[in-house]
Amino acid sequence: MTERRSNEPLPGNAPGPGTLARRFGAPRDAVVPRMEDVRVTAPDLARRVTMERTRGRIVIAASIFTALFAAVSVKLALATIFIPMPLRPSDQPHVAVAPKASDVATTIAPASVKAFEMPRARRAMITDRNGEVLAISLPTAAVTANPRALIDPEDAAHKLKSVLKRLDEAQVREKLSDQTKSFVYLARQISPREQMAINDLGIPGVDFERSERRRYPLGRVAAQVLGGVDVDGHGIAGAERHFETRLSEESPPLRLSLDVRVQAVVREELLAAMTEFQAIGACGIVMDVRTGEVIAMVSLPDFDLNDTRTATDDDRSNRAVGRVYEPGSTFKLQTASFALDSGIVHIWNGFDATNPIRIGRFSINDFEGKHRWLAVPEIIAYSSNIGAARMAEAAGTATQRAWMEKLGLLTRTGIELSDSALPLAPPAANWKEAATLTIGFGHGIAVTPLHVVMATGAVSNGGVLMRPTLVAVDPGAPAPTGTRIMQQTTSDTIRKLMRLVVTDGYGKPAEVPGYFVGGKTGTAEKISGHGYNKHSNVSAFMSVFPMNAPHYAVYMMLDEPHANASTHGYATAGWVSAPAAGRVIARIGPMLGLLPETDNAAAIQASLAIPMQPARPPGAAATPVPRASAPVAKTAPPVAPNRAGGSTPVTTPSVPVRAPSVVPPVATPAHDLRREAAARPVQAALVDVGR
Amino acid sequence: MPALSRADTSLFGRWWWSVDRWTLIAIATLIGFGYVMMLAASPAVAERIGASRDMFILKQVVFLSIAGLIVVAVSLLSPRGVRRLALAGCAMALIMTAATLVIGPHIKGATRWIALPGLSVQPSEFLKPCFAVTTAWLMAEGKRPGNFPGMLITFGLFGIIAVLLKFQPDMGMLAVLTAVLLIQLFLVGLPLWLIGIFTSLIGAAGVTAYFVIEHFHRRVQGFLCFRTADVANKLDAATATDATDCYQIRRALEAFGNGGLLGTGPGEGFVKDKLPDAHADFVFAVMGEEFGFVLCLVLIGIFMFIVLRGLLRLLGEADLFVVLAATGLVSSFGLQAFVNMASTLHLIPTKGMTLPFVSYGGSSVMAVAFGMGMLLALTRRGHTAELA
Repeated sequence: MTERRSNEPLPGNAPGPGTLARRFGAPRDAVVPRMEDVRVTAPDLARRVTMERTRGRIVIAASIFTALFAAVSVKLALATIFIPMPLRPSDQPHVAVAPKASDVATTIAPASVKAFEMPRARRAMITDRNGEVLAISLPTAAVTANPRALIDPEDAAHKLKSVLKRLDEAQVREKLSDQTKSFVYLARQISPREQMAINDLGIPGVDFERSERRRYPLGRVAAQVLGGVDVDGHGIAGAERHFETRLSEESPPLRLSLDVRVQAVVREELLAAMTEFQAIGACGIVMDVRTGEVIAMVSLPDFDLNDTRTATDDDRSNRAVGRVYEPGSTFKLQTASFALDSGIVHIWNGFDATNPIRIGRFSINDFEGKHRWLAVPEIIAYSSNIGAARMAEAAGTATQRAWMEKLGLLTRTGIELSDSALPLAPPAANWKEAATLTIGFGHGIAVTPLHVVMATGAVSNGGVLMRPTLVAVDPGAPAPTGTRIMQQTTSDTIRKLMRLVVTDGYGKPAEVPGYFVGGKTGTAEKISGHGYNKHSNVSAFMSVFPMNAPHYAVYMMLDEPHANASTHGYATAGWVSAPAAGRVIARIGPMLGLLPETDNAAAIQASLAIPMQPARPPGAAATPVPRASAPVAKTAPPVAPNRAGGSTPVTTPSVPVRAPSVVPPVATPAHDLRREAAARPVQAALVDVGR
Repeated sequence: MPALSRADTSLFGRWWWSVDRWTLIAIATLIGFGYVMMLAASPAVAERIGASRDMFILKQVVFLSIAGLIVVAVSLLSPRGVRRLALAGCAMALIMTAATLVIGPHIKGATRWIALPGLSVQPSEFLKPCFAVTTAWLMAEGKRPGNFPGMLITFGLFGIIAVLLKFQPDMGMLAVLTAVLLIQLFLVGLPLWLIGIFTSLIGAAGVTAYFVIEHFHRRVQGFLCFRTADVANKLDAATATDATDCYQIRRALEAFGNGGLLGTGPGEGFVKDKLPDAHADFVFAVMGEEFGFVLCLVLIGIFMFIVLRGLLRLLGEADLFVVLAATGLVSSFGLQAFVNMASTLHLIPTKGMTLPFVSYGGSSVMAVAFGMGMLLALTRRGHTAELA
């Protein structure tokens, strides 16, 4: 800065003669000794003043720049050291999003998987009663993009396609080129490996969104019960839908009452039977009659929850709860129950099953009918439609309807499934004599298979209605309580009647030594077109075991089974469903902790025995069946004393032929149906095949 | 470099002893930074652009070498030579800037470039230094006795340029030119109240531009929406806003944050891979990530050194033209650096402006070299005599 500290005029400013010396560049403190000799022109002075001011302003400008750069430095310090912007997890290089240790929760307690730590997922797991995983959410990612942040949509689409082969490149390109959008989904549920590969592409504007994928490790097991989820992970059917709030808001696993082992056995036997008899569908239920817990619920055909693309509506439909069927003869147990429990009918009462019952242009007939009077045990064992109808008639419409209501057979079962169906029953106004007769043997009403299981469980377990549930009862929790719907003694009778069906009736194929199986067949013709179709049946076997201490109900149903040589042309429940039920019981009994009782078999069987034609106890002879409610036998037919005093199972009871004089035992009241039935034996259009 | 004797009277000898060697060293350091940063940003960018990395590096090495040569060559000129060069350059740049409106390709919502074989030239980059020198000459001439209407011509020229830049649009460039002009007016001694009026007018123009020019609107929006998101502590730019700028700014700040005090080390940064403009406008963020706070501060220090040294040395300068021209050059250089770094750090809305010498790009580097060469030429010792 001192190089030009000189007073000499600079050569470039060479002043001409007469001009004044120019003093450019003279520092402020420069001595100007000959000032008095110098004449400074006004413009020169003005320029000097300007330069002075300019120098001052240069300092100001320099200060402003200093301030600007200082501001940048401060912000730099903040951005790098004091308040650094956190990195997003997806930005980490070469690391796919993986759950951190702190995100991991130990959620599964049961012994089968106790050592594992499952990744925390938003949607809770579903397990069976033993902790086996039925449904689990695994962390996955969705590929998203912001088209406005993208540099080259074409290039990005091409690169993404190179990693995700399943992408439609043209479609992706179109999505990425849409400048009106700032968020698009490109692919969902990519694997961690794919996520890493896409991350490595480093395409700006392409991002990931954490999501979950619902997996069903057992595939087809309980597919309809679980129901499945949609692409956003919300339940669309079954338990996933019913428990949507529970699953999405609480993290502990949802423990269902199902037992996958039992479920597998039921499915296997059901599938075998379905294949053997070429049925179009099948359904099986195992329920704990003491708690109402559903141990297995199978509906065929089914589908793989992990691959739902090919699943049809029929596959997805849960026949156990989602469809209603006429229960058929399995409902005769209900008729016997309310008839006996009401006190109107006694076990030794007999009903005239000699001739079909005419209702309008239909008639009620028995298949392979005995064409004689039948005692209550005979009606159940031989599955007499006429007898059951008469019994219902005797008990009365009001009693029947009240019973149906009390057992919840007119409302939904309350099972925790979104797709459970409402029974079809005549409205109270139409529930008259004709309805009473047909409902007495399970026609003219349609309920879900689970309704049948629930009702049969109630009449066999001592008379307490347990609402069926899919949620496992905690071992520590108090046992669920039900509603008493009948007397214990009546239930004891029903148990004997059910046992009788298996020992002496159409349910023989279901017998499993040591398990004291009791049950009831039910073969209902399906309605097609204008009426019942003789050749398409719903054949069900409703069983409970062991009858000496009822624990589990097993229901096996085949939809439209076809007869084959091994069944001698029959496609009835006794031939197609009962054997399957027997096989299931034989296999699941040990699984459920029940070993066949062989040591005391004879004694137990003796306690369950009931004669086909029980004797009227002394003193009960005068008990009349009220005429007002039902025009049935006023007096029971005479029954020979039981040879073994009623303690021996009656296989071929000696039944004295009733004297014609006792038929009809009562003066026929003004009851058209009955008179007509007596008058005109006819073809069975409305028939329960009854086996 | 061989020692040059003070007695050496060759062109180069005289240049070496008269030139501001400290500024020269600072510029050389910046070019060095540019080289290093190009190496850091190139892998991701080369892949993104689709060119080979070697090609990319070679190109920039050539550009940086040419820039160095330009600095030296232009600084050899006398102040008179600088003035002539600037006048010619200004005229040419003006014509070419006008031409971009007709023949320029449309890139990122604006037509600023002229495609030449091998590189795209942004003529307005060259306009910046040339305009500063030209206005300095006009103003200085206007102050001399006589009736030369320097101020009138200055404002006329500025008006033309403003219209051209508005149509490109290149509001960032216009803002810098305006600021440089304002500083020159300030130095030439315009009353402060007039400066105040001008500043207010520019503010009003900025507000108008915000509402009228969509490109500009988006930039500011990007800045604002991100700020809102910042306050809400919602750090996910994807959900907070959809603007590209937000994305870049967010990434840039992540890069700084990832760098910390000393940086991740050369080549170790990864946020840079997600910065679309890592090599150009956001190179400062890459530097922050890989070299950290300390080296970034050194870079800021170098820019500040050049600016302050340039300005303060003018205190001893007697020629108004030299003062105004040098101030204009140094201001445009300093403002460009400030705007780039400040927008990368989210102090101000993003402007399409490069970091002098450090950012990748041919025409930008050469234009800056041009300006710096002129600055060095003007501030050479003992050359005032060559003026007039």
